Amino acid sequence: MSSAEILNELREIMIDVFDVDDLEVTPATTAEDVEEWDSLSHVRLVVAVERKFKIKFKNSEIEALKSVGDLVNLIEAKTAA
Amino acid sequence: MSETASDPLAEILAGLPNTRAVIDSVLAVWPEHAAYLAKSLQARTPAMLAATEAAATAVRRLTAGNEATVAADYRWTCDRLREEELFFHREERYRLSTFAEAMAEVYSDHAYMARYVNGLLLTQVLWFNHVATFEMFLNRVLGAQTQPFDYLEVGPGHGLMVYFAAASSLSRSLEAWDVSAVSLRETAAALDKMGVEKPVSLTEVDILKAGQSERRYDLIVISEVLEHLERPEQALRFLTTALKPDGRIFVNVPLNSPSPDHIYLLSSPDEVTALVEGVGLKVETMELYATQAKKLESALRNRITVSAGLVARRA
Ligand SMILES: C[S@@+](CC[C@H](N)C(=O)[O-])C[C@H]1O[C@@H](n2cnc3c(N)ncnc32)[C@H](O)[C@@H]1O
Repeated sequence: MSSAEILNELREIMIDVFDVDDLEVTPATTAEDVEEWDSLSHVRLVVAVERKFKIKFKNSEIEALKSVGDLVNLIEAKTAA
Repeated sequence: MSETASDPLAEILAGLPNTRAVIDSVLAVWPEHAAYLAKSLQARTPAMLAATEAAATAVRRLTAGNEATVAADYRWTCDRLREEELFFHREERYRLSTFAEAMAEVYSDHAYMARYVNGLLLTQVLWFNHVATFEMFLNRVLGAQTQPFDYLEVGPGHGLMVYFAAASSLSRSLEAWDVSAVSLRETAAALDKMGVEKPVSLTEVDILKAGQSERRYDLIVISEVLEHLERPEQALRFLTTALKPDGRIFVNVPLNSPSPDHIYLLSSPDEVTALVEGVGLKVETMELYATQAKKLESALRNRITVSAGLVARRA
């Protein structure tokens, strides 16, 4: 899957997890840009991503995630392995 | 330290000096928590803000001289809870399921418990769902008493609710039971610090082993305890027999609330009603408050924590 495809999937997951109608995301998007993205929804986002891509994150990886781009890169690395 | 609070907070906190002091102590050790706290505060009704300030006034007496440590412990507690959240959403269950496990991992670890208890104390001011059920307790449980009442609380913890029950001019006798002697000693110390004026009898009782109640009560409170029990229905069955015929019980229990020592998972309001009514009680009112005042339906669907506060009578 290309990073553009991952980004698109991710956007749909975020819309679902944050319970919003629509969402504009770019690799530069961070929690500060999205009102519904707080520490609690971050946990649900991570778990939804794990399910969708059949991968598992380490705690240290979850803590290090700062932007949508970080998440895309991590998904790419994990699904390529 | 007023500059640490962001503008929307400053406005809401203008008439709430003790709430402001608690929040400033937390932002000093955890500035990134400001947006969360702003949202939590903005969602509160005037009655909830008054309850917030009442809780904060008591909390400041309890933490005087120790504010920075307690604030750091709150941050630490939130980190532990986030770990449990991760497990819960991955596995769709609480990590521990027996009292023996919780004892081994949490209750017997005094250093861990000390931090955890401090952290939970601040949630009484900082978390929307905790303040909301506390406001229900103050105004629609205690506030609804019209006659002198005998009060029993199981698992008083920080003692805030017994304290406010004691402050009611209508409370005639006050008892609190807890399985843990350590916890009871802390409740006693807390009541002392808050300056409770009426006598409160504190007794070591395992609610799951209580036999026949010697006394009957007008008002029984069990708040944030059922989720710690292997057999919550057994506790409720006993408490039903301890109610006077027209007595009321206030139950506060969180749904989908992963925590190191939560072992009994309730996921919906219907499950709570079934649990309570299954022992011969009739639910009169139930109020539901989601974390951060999120929409209820969406919170339940997404398994976000919702506090359920209910008043019941013998059926
Ligand atoms: C989380 S605290 C609740 C504090 C406070 N009531 C509140 O609403 O925040 C739970 C309390 O229940 C007590 N507890 C747990 N199991 C119990 C049992 N079997 N019988 C009596 N008390 C118990 C614990 O020792 C602890 O003090």
